[in-house]
Amino acid sequence: MKYFIFRNYTVEPLFVNFDAGYSQYGDISVLDQEADIYLWFYQISPNPDPVSRGNEIDDFLRKIHYLIKQIPPTKDLYVFSLVDMFPFKWQNSDFSIEIKMFEFNNKIFELTKLYPNVRLIDLGDFVRDYPIDSIINWKYYFTSFTFLNPSLAKQFTIWFSKKSDAIQLKRKKCIILDLDNTLWGGVLGEDGIEGIKLGNSYPGNCFTEFQRYLVEASNNGIMLAICSKNNEADALVAIENNPYMILKMDHIVAHRINWENKPTNIKSLAQEMNIGLDSMVFFDDSPVERELVKQAIPMIEVPEFPTEPYNITPFFKDVLNCSFQIYKLTIEDKKKTSQYKENWKRSNFRSEYTSIDDYIKNLEIEIEIRSVDGFSISRASQMTQKTNQFNLTTKRYSESDINRFIKDGNTVLCASVKDKFGDNGISILTIITYDSSDKSAHIDLFLLSCRILGRGIENVFLNFVLNQIFLKGFKRVYASYVATGKNELAKEFYKNNCFIEVESKDAEVKYLKELNEEILIQSNFKINYA
Amino acid sequence: MNEEVKNIMASVFKTRIENITDDLNQKNVTFWDSLRHLNLIIELEEKFGISFEPEEISEMTTFERVIFYITKKI
Repeated sequence: MKYFIFRNYTVEPLFVNFDAGYSQYGDISVLDQEADIYLWFYQISPNPDPVSRGNEIDDFLRKIHYLIKQIPPTKDLYVFSLVDMFPFKWQNSDFSIEIKMFEFNNKIFELTKLYPNVRLIDLGDFVRDYPIDSIINWKYYFTSFTFLNPSLAKQFTIWFSKKSDAIQLKRKKCIILDLDNTLWGGVLGEDGIEGIKLGNSYPGNCFTEFQRYLVEASNNGIMLAICSKNNEADALVAIENNPYMILKMDHIVAHRINWENKPTNIKSLAQEMNIGLDSMVFFDDSPVERELVKQAIPMIEVPEFPTEPYNITPFFKDVLNCSFQIYKLTIEDKKKTSQYKENWKRSNFRSEYTSIDDYIKNLEIEIEIRSVDGFSISRASQMTQKTNQFNLTTKRYSESDINRFIKDGNTVLCASVKDKFGDNGISILTIITYDSSDKSAHIDLFLLSCRILGRGIENVFLNFVLNQIFLKGFKRVYASYVATGKNELAKEFYKNNCFIEVESKDAEVKYLKELNEEILIQSNFKINYA
Repeated sequence: MNEEVKNIMASVFKTRIENITDDLNQKNVTFWDSLRHLNLIIELEEKFGISFEPEEISEMTTFERVIFYITKKI
């Protein structure tokens, strides 16, 4: 990832660990075309005259407007918000700079809605962690024109990497919770349903507050699961009936409340929820359990759960900052908990039917296929980043990459799938590129979110796509499967759909299919193409 | 201490430790530019818990003088 940084001060010490180029101070006339991402890192000067400080801000805005027009829409511009690192007033009643800065940040926020490639990064989020007099080192300011104290460079690097990961969608998916002394104070088996510590006074209020955060986490697309050694029936009664419980079973995607060992339970939770163990974070107050889980499942994240109840809230904020940052939630993210619950109902429903065909028919599946556009692009990019199991080539694309495919006239299709239990949202994506020299089409990417697997939707969708290619006048279709260690599930996909293997090299197997006529799609699904 | 400083310099200058000779002079090498000079000073201040004055910083352009000013402070 190559950055190009527009700046009006020396910022090089902050980005030593990044592949970055820099503009001249205050210059916006030169734009490095090679860069993948552009950064805007301007600060207002510690000028004693508030009017000229205000003018600087106006000038920043004009420059950003100009830059947005210069930067191709396929590349991102990250704008750092303005923070007053040198708050100083001649009159205490003068708030003109605060208001100007607020207006600037707000205008950038408005721009992010108009231009999806503009992202706002709140620098205040970093600066707030340090005392104001350590933010600027005046020696370096006057000798090297450095604004942010270079001795904070290491912390800045870590912070910025997390922010940029959040924009590029690398976050965990699920929190696994223990019950006793984690979700509530005390031990249910000893203290009873009314005796566990929850409520308005210490220490119960710490756990209640923690639960408020958990509920909000669930509303923000983080899945919650329970893994606890308790009597299941007692625990469920406590959760539903203790009046101070804020978290209810509705917020819980799946649970294992039994006397099995925790690693076994966690693995089976991962299987049920259809997510990787590396996307889980495990909360348990017992160091023994934590160690056991860490040893057995090294890829799971196991933070040190605090021993003092009053430290749970700050602890949880840290975990959220480290592992669950996201730039923007999609509608699919927000619905995640209910979608997984519907899936669970589906699999229960399955056992009521004698044949799988019978079951699928009764699901009343509808597939809605459309070209990726401004509304679906963030979800499309997200799927390329997060889908591992049924992903034929596992190419990770940013929104800008996908935009480029669309602009170059390739086919980028997504589909949403719903059935009688609910709407799974957009969960299929494919990208087809064309080579007019030999009239061939290439399936660059083909993926299905794992929550809709097991119903044969992938085959129907593939045939639909092949027909689209055929109707465009292309008769040869090339496709490949690239093994990643996580996508074993999709290995035979093209073979099963009558593709011929033409080449096998390292992890990649290449396939070809000649199209002679439109394929008749026989299925129990309703397909809508808009 | 000389070895420790050499290690810091090699890592800040992104060069091999053999290149940090006792007679190293900013004038004679390309890897010691003004930006890396700033990074070097920051690293040294942090490592040894000391602070250099601007006049000293601009003087510290050879390995020998870097060592001299550190020794003066600790």
